[in-house]
Amino acid sequence: MSVVQHEEEEDIDLPTVGAAVAGRRRRPWLGLALQIAVILLAGGVWWLASTLLPVGTMPSPAETFARLGALALTPEFWIAVGITVATFLAGLIICILIGIPLGLAIGASTFATQSTRLVFDFLRTIPPIAILPLLLLLLGAQFQMVLVLVIGGAIWPILIQSIYAARQGEALLVDVARTFKVPRRWFIRHIFLPGALPFIMTGLRVGTTICLLLTITGELLGGAPGIGFEIADAMAFYDNSRMYAYVLVSAFLGLLVNGAFWAAQRRMLHWHPSIRREGTR
Amino acid sequence: MTNIGTRTSPQPTVDDSIALEARRLGHSYGDRDVLGSIDFIVPRGEFVCIVGPSGVGKTTLLRCLSGLQVSSRGSVLVKGQPVKEPARGVAVVFQDYSRSLMPWASVLHNVTLPLRANGVRRAAAETTARAALAQVALADNVADLYPWQLSGGMQQRVAIARALAYNPQVLLMDEPFASVDAQTRADLEDLMRKLQRDLDLTVLLVTHDIDESVYLSDRVIALSGSPAGVADIVEVPLGAERDQIGTKSLPEFAAIRARVHGLIRHTAAPTELA
Amino acid sequence: MRVSNSLKMIALEIWLPILIVVVWWFASANSTSLYFPPLQAILESFAENWLDPQEAIQNLAPSLLLLGSGYLLALVGGVVLGTLFGIVTPIEHATRPVLETLRAVPGVALLPIFIVLFGIDAQMKILLIAFGSFWPIFLNTIDGVRAVEPLLLDVSRVFRVGRARRLFRIVLPSAGPQIFAGARTALAIALIIMVVAETVGGSGGIGYFLLDAQRNFAITAMWGAILALGILGYVLNIFFRIIERRVLRWHRLQQARLETAK
Repeated sequence: MSVVQHEEEEDIDLPTVGAAVAGRRRRPWLGLALQIAVILLAGGVWWLASTLLPVGTMPSPAETFARLGALALTPEFWIAVGITVATFLAGLIICILIGIPLGLAIGASTFATQSTRLVFDFLRTIPPIAILPLLLLLLGAQFQMVLVLVIGGAIWPILIQSIYAARQGEALLVDVARTFKVPRRWFIRHIFLPGALPFIMTGLRVGTTICLLLTITGELLGGAPGIGFEIADAMAFYDNSRMYAYVLVSAFLGLLVNGAFWAAQRRMLHWHPSIRREGTR
Repeated sequence: MTNIGTRTSPQPTVDDSIALEARRLGHSYGDRDVLGSIDFIVPRGEFVCIVGPSGVGKTTLLRCLSGLQVSSRGSVLVKGQPVKEPARGVAVVFQDYSRSLMPWASVLHNVTLPLRANGVRRAAAETTARAALAQVALADNVADLYPWQLSGGMQQRVAIARALAYNPQVLLMDEPFASVDAQTRADLEDLMRKLQRDLDLTVLLVTHDIDESVYLSDRVIALSGSPAGVADIVEVPLGAERDQIGTKSLPEFAAIRARVHGLIRHTAAPTELA
Repeated sequence: MRVSNSLKMIALEIWLPILIVVVWWFASANSTSLYFPPLQAILESFAENWLDPQEAIQNLAPSLLLLGSGYLLALVGGVVLGTLFGIVTPIEHATRPVLETLRAVPGVALLPIFIVLFGIDAQMKILLIAFGSFWPIFLNTIDGVRAVEPLLLDVSRVFRVGRARRLFRIVLPSAGPQIFAGARTALAIALIIMVVAETVGGSGGIGYFLLDAQRNFAITAMWGAILALGILGYVLNIFFRIIERRVLRWHRLQQARLETAK
């Protein structure tokens, strides 16, 4: 929370609309209290649902967290989490290493951009799930299969946004370099890359989300080891509290990934007006 | 030339001849005093300018006058009634025309919005809108274009037409010509003088441009100091007929201009922003 | 001159796809590999299952029904709630931790929960699709509503524009581009969840077809289904783009105008 000087200054976390916000800023603890209240309310709804539904359908919050605690003491839990995280990271890194340079290279050439446009347009709209059966047959229910699935799905936003990034820079390059005879390397480092960064980050944001989503999907539906597998396995054995516990874990993982990404984006793009204005989305 | 002191001759009863009045108007953000104690009247049918250096609080003053903001102290009266929220009789033209017009709507829809919002039926609203557009010298076909298809000067004319169509008692203008080039500014200044005389408007225009304030107005309210206050109110008896070259080369113009300039620089410069 | 220019543009865009198809065709013509059948066979299977009107309807109709219902639900819910949360800022702020957590759950992970809660019928699938597609629309609507040009809000207050009119004539049009961006992402998500949801319950649809083909080692049919899915996604996206171009024409033109002014 920024320290607010007067009404005209904008809160870094929230764009200001309305007097309601002014009230909260004078009493910052009120906002936090409300959030806690809502969290408790949500927990209450969960508990209520768990008691109203037929026995065994939905574990209560207490049961779930207790089971989570118990699981966290077992090696199987950490192996599953480790595999999911490792697969996710490996997939993301490979997508970055291939997608960004390739995208920038393609985007720098009008010919390449136009030639590949239809192909990429089509490939990116194929739901990655479609190739899961094929991958299962080819690679079996292993993490490699999940890795290929992740890359096959997450590379498109990263690749395509990198192409956009390069397109932006290319137009600028022609103008600026021609006018000022700026040395190419300096231009790339100080003008092109900072300009390209917001686009690339947008692609990375979507790509990161898809990486996690596909990792869990591949494990859940494909039977490869990891958190997804544990969820499906728990369901098969009617072990609901274990199932819910792992779903919770996947949510925490998602929060972690989102949070880490936003922190990284904030740092890298602190100068960009959309970050200054918007904040946490 | 005579000038009126900071306090006007008292008129205790509701007076139809006063379109807008500021009484001991003051505003603070937290413990930072922006506006001290401001008093002035805008008689009906007059063109009054408020001029002051950048940062003195002109925008804050305008927001209080227009009802967008409730002042910490004092009051604003429109036709004798205090305003706590935007009054029906007040229209505003903002400095940033490109952001004050809706880009998804045609020029015509932009101008009719205030009318439709206040109960006027579509057909009547469109007639009034087209008449207003004609008054600001925009061709007929402009009505169906989008604002961003127009030049800056034309967009500001649309904003003025929108205010005119609203048929306000007082037209407030917030540095309306600061964002256009010099030639367009001159054209728009003359347009405003013409409109004011033809339609017997009451205009209160805020600006940082001293030349503009003297050229346009019947009297100039000079703002300065921190917190801001009325340094003085200067009459501008330069006659009804004015033109850019002739009027501005009059010795009286230079004298009034110099006086206003001195007034707004007289008090100490505003202290640093907290 | 103009004709030859547009022909040139078209040629530039289609030479690579055509080349790929041709290469694929000939490279796989004599394939005996189990997993990579000849392209010709794939296309035949595709035509048989997805172009034949009767077969197509039987295979596609359930999917489209699920997709349409779920997506529509997400759209309406997302825009309405997004507008509400965007306008009444305290609500958005207070519920943020809970919403962020819900959003962070990979939608697919909820499939088992939904199955347990709602069974495996169409209702559950529609709800799951709606739940997954809801988030991008909802969040983007909040962003769009909150990013309305403050000066326009001032204008609406000065001219005493009522709340309802302000909402429909200023806030929502202004948020349009953001809402559409969210809707586009939501479409992709809806498609994925639809396929996933169809793998359980056996009530037909592309997802079920795909899974069934895989289980029965009907590889050619499986490839045909992959192709069909790709085309479905592509076609839906084209429809979406057409609608978006129409509704957001003002935005596109305005952005173009701003670009040339630079």
